[in-house]
Amino acid sequence: MTASSILTSVRNPLKTAIAGVAANVYDSVPEAPIVPFAAIVPNAPYLQPSLLGKDKVKLKVNLVMTIGVAIYDNQSALDNIEQLAISILAAIPSGYEVGDVSNPINVTVGASEILACEIQLATYYTQTN
Amino acid sequence: MATTVITGRDLSFTIATTSYNEQATAATLSADVTIETYDTLAGKAYKSVDKQWTFDVEMLADWGASGSLCEALWTAAETAPNSTLAVSLTAVTGAVFAFNVLPIFPSVGGTSPDAQTVSMSFTVVGTPSETFS
Repeated sequence: MTASSILTSVRNPLKTAIAGVAANVYDSVPEAPIVPFAAIVPNAPYLQPSLLGKDKVKLKVNLVMTIGVAIYDNQSALDNIEQLAISILAAIPSGYEVGDVSNPINVTVGASEILACEIQLATYYTQTN
Repeated sequence: MATTVITGRDLSFTIATTSYNEQATAATLSADVTIETYDTLAGKAYKSVDKQWTFDVEMLADWGASGSLCEALWTAAETAPNSTLAVSLTAVTGAVFAFNVLPIFPSVGGTSPDAQTVSMSFTVVGTPSETFS
């Protein structure tokens, strides 16, 4: 039996679930994201042991989904990121706690400036094998 | 003696031989001891007259899952409310407590957007037996 991993059990399924939204989806930190995008990255604290016993490693996994859109003008950028956030919230599968969405802020990625915000997510993971 | 630390990672328990480690976040066996106080001519006198043990469990809800622990407890409370369930609680290797509890209905629901959790307080029938090695 193949050993499980957080990548295959948590981040990949999340990426697959939101693949239908109108954005490029990354299950790790992208070097140069192409807007609009959603990137699933670790939150702090990232891994929290919270269940009894030590026969298996069981963790609460805290993630943050950073989403970004292009800034052409303020009004359309805010509208675009609101629509992207709503579509992602609707697509997140069961088994994931959905937390707050942060306020959008301007972020410089490479040579371009984007409007980005963060969606707090969490789930539980048990290591097998 | 040297300082010893045991944690929740050392803890494990079974109810009716089924392990709850995969879902449980807390398990506590405690006793409420009734101690009578008497005012005598020679001063206060104390006597322990009764004790009631309680087993408290907090766990992530698993309704709908294959082999659901919540559903097993619900079924036991519904179909055999007066039949005790055997519990084995290991505080750490070498300290095991065995006792019986009456089944109770797990709570249903929770708060958005957190994971649904279940808090249960089982009444222990009789007195736990301990095995220290």
